[in-house]
Amino acid sequence: MNDSTIVTDSVKRFKWIGTRPIRPDGVPKVTGRAMYGADLKLPGMLYGKVLRSPHAHALIKKIDTAKAAALPGVKAVVTSADLPEQKNEFIGPERVAVNFWHVTRNILAREKVLYEGHAIAAVAAISASIAEEAASLIEVTYEVLPHVIDVDEAMKPDAPLLFPDMIPRGMTEPNPKPSNISKRLEFVMGDIEKGFAQADVVIEKEFTTAAVHQGYIEPHACVAKMEADGQGEIWSSSQGHFQMRALTAKILGCKIGDLRVTPAEIGGGFGGKTVTYLEPVAALLSKKSGLPVRLQMTREDVFKGTGPTSGSSMWAKVGVTKAGKIVAADAIFKFQAGAFPGSPVMNACLCSYSPYDIPNARAVGYDVVSNRPKSAAYRAPGSPIGHYAVESVIDMCAKAIGMDPLELRIKNVASIGVPTIAGPKHAHAGFMETLQALKAHPAYANPPKGPNQGRGVAIGYWFNGGGESSATMQINADGTVLVATGSPDIGGSRASMALMAAETLGVDYNQVRAIVADTGSIGYTHVTGGSRVTFATGMAVVAATKNVIKDLIRRAAMIWDVDPEGVIWEDGFAKPAGANVGNFKPMSLAEIAGKAAATGGPITASAGVNAGAQAPGFAAHFVDVEVDPETGRVDILKYVAAQDVGRAIHPSYVEGQIQGGVVQGIGWALNEEYIYNAKGQLDNAGFLDYRCPVASDIPMIDTILVEVPNPVHPYGAKGVGEANICPPMAAIANAIETATHTRMTHLPMSPPRVLAAMSGGK
Amino acid sequence: MTATVAFTSGFARKYTNGVREFEVEAHNLRGVIRAMDEMFPGLGHALEEETTVAINGELHETGYFQPVPPGAEVFFIPRIEGG
Repeated sequence: MNDSTIVTDSVKRFKWIGTRPIRPDGVPKVTGRAMYGADLKLPGMLYGKVLRSPHAHALIKKIDTAKAAALPGVKAVVTSADLPEQKNEFIGPERVAVNFWHVTRNILAREKVLYEGHAIAAVAAISASIAEEAASLIEVTYEVLPHVIDVDEAMKPDAPLLFPDMIPRGMTEPNPKPSNISKRLEFVMGDIEKGFAQADVVIEKEFTTAAVHQGYIEPHACVAKMEADGQGEIWSSSQGHFQMRALTAKILGCKIGDLRVTPAEIGGGFGGKTVTYLEPVAALLSKKSGLPVRLQMTREDVFKGTGPTSGSSMWAKVGVTKAGKIVAADAIFKFQAGAFPGSPVMNACLCSYSPYDIPNARAVGYDVVSNRPKSAAYRAPGSPIGHYAVESVIDMCAKAIGMDPLELRIKNVASIGVPTIAGPKHAHAGFMETLQALKAHPAYANPPKGPNQGRGVAIGYWFNGGGESSATMQINADGTVLVATGSPDIGGSRASMALMAAETLGVDYNQVRAIVADTGSIGYTHVTGGSRVTFATGMAVVAATKNVIKDLIRRAAMIWDVDPEGVIWEDGFAKPAGANVGNFKPMSLAEIAGKAAATGGPITASAGVNAGAQAPGFAAHFVDVEVDPETGRVDILKYVAAQDVGRAIHPSYVEGQIQGGVVQGIGWALNEEYIYNAKGQLDNAGFLDYRCPVASDIPMIDTILVEVPNPVHPYGAKGVGEANICPPMAAIANAIETATHTRMTHLPMSPPRVLAAMSGGK
Repeated sequence: MTATVAFTSGFARKYTNGVREFEVEAHNLRGVIRAMDEMFPGLGHALEEETTVAINGELHETGYFQPVPPGAEVFFIPRIEGG
């Protein structure tokens, strides 16, 4: 954490918004008492174990569970035969369409295993060691099939097919044959050919990126307790307990209302915990055994059995005039979806050009299955990958025309009214302000000058999310306040909710306690994802607080025996609206709360919102690197990240989000990758071999919080969690080229690859 | 009150015979969805299930309650979700 530069033109001052109180969940976390998914233990609880496939692609000829079931201490064994079949149809919007025929097969394989680590069966026993032994006694007869890992290989006509009857959607040719291509997307604006004809410089390049995992510290874990009457409870670490409830109910074939899901504390998610893997299996084991069951993953399970984000193969082309006007852009994005359709390729198509005013542009995307775990969301899903290709080529254009790379972006940045490739016009400011703030950073005027040192610049865009959220406020008898929401707290949202409630109510922050309520205690709330919580759930909290204030005014009026119109709420007190109302001493929240019974009962109010007009996220970064010419190691010397944050409700957490996004981007850029052997098995399923950055790898990341408030939000908040991971990969690649005159076109830019590229690929 | 309704080319190919823009009378999104569903039966359901909407560039989940100002551009795009 650092004290960032805050760039704001706001004249509005707040008492609590923008302050940095200690997080309410801090003490239990630093003292080890916070309850995560694997911490809950219920009386009679069993321990579960999932059996996973050793093969990348194989037919399941037979599963024999007899020996496992006969092992003393084993209480239940389940396979896909215990789950109802689902319809093979896509439900919901294209980008996030869910096909439960696929989902149920990902949770427990049926006809085939489609990747190493694919769950096949599960057991529950009285101890973890018995469960492990029982899982090893399950006999699976496989017929191993040819597999395919690489996205370009998977797209070839003669590639092994994961689903022999899968016809690609959206293809341009008539009657496409079955393929690993799940779908093709295309977005166009303007006239591409005419645009490139106007360019003085046209540069095109191919890029590839490795699949990378979100790397959350806490492996997936849950406890399920199903009763004989069909009702059940689940305690789970996830980004959305309402989502877990709905998915589990669908997979099990039970009613949503029969399940109650309690959110455990969560040790990171970054998109990867919006997906269910364990909850339906634990519920099934509990149903079969009649006892509570805990299931938790090992780190190896997490790497092999859960979704990283897609690896990719891309091509990007940009045309620019000598004066620095980008006149045309074209790109093809081919994304690994993993074993089932559903990569975030559409987001790459829609985000990669969005920061710019480019009149002629096209983006084509392919969603491609291969024998890898099904991809899952990861921080601005899809956008960082597309930005890596496009921002790299734009940097090459800047170098080709001899223009400062930040200046080129300033010349072409989109403003309000500029159309996006999706169609709608930009409606929010903040892009130019962010670029100008980055340019004004004192270090920008002093690029590194040492040997093998260089600077890179890149920018990034993310839509941000809104949607449905609920909040409830209760006023306690002593005037303390409880705020409950349905948003799992990943990034410090309890503090932000308490800040917004305290500001609105006009009371001390320390008087407000914010909690995350279970599905039985709060209204529906969409997942903690898409950088939506401070914006959307914050709006629900402010709305609930305003409802409470209305009630407090009504009660104060009753106590004073005056008309409610004669009472106002100001700085945490009910006051007469004017002298003619009467000479009443302002009444505090505690005083009104003390009269709750007399004035009508408990003081509580709820609000539900479907929040829109969330305003996009925009980030601009520069990075200075030094490349060791003997080893190819890239050291980050300096990193400066500017971002339009709307208004920083709790600046320390905003800085943390920016720094976290940058660190994950550095890992993505330099080291992280899924490495498969010839058998299609993952060779680096652990943090020793899958190298995330550690503190010694990175300098303090300077943050610039650019406050361009969102007029729709009561306090101007915009989502801040995702745009920051979009620029680092391209920024670092651009810096490496400045330092070494070598363009890196594959992620990660690990020492062997950088060394090889510097020696001309030798 | 007249609003301009717009679709992406892919969506238009699938649902509106390739026509990307329409003029409709509506004061909220419910009115827009109903008007489009009258022109193309079933389209209303697709709009509700498959799209995010931008009203004068402001993104919203496609619902009924969002007001549509006179002369607004109502652009339906594929639904977006984050991480």
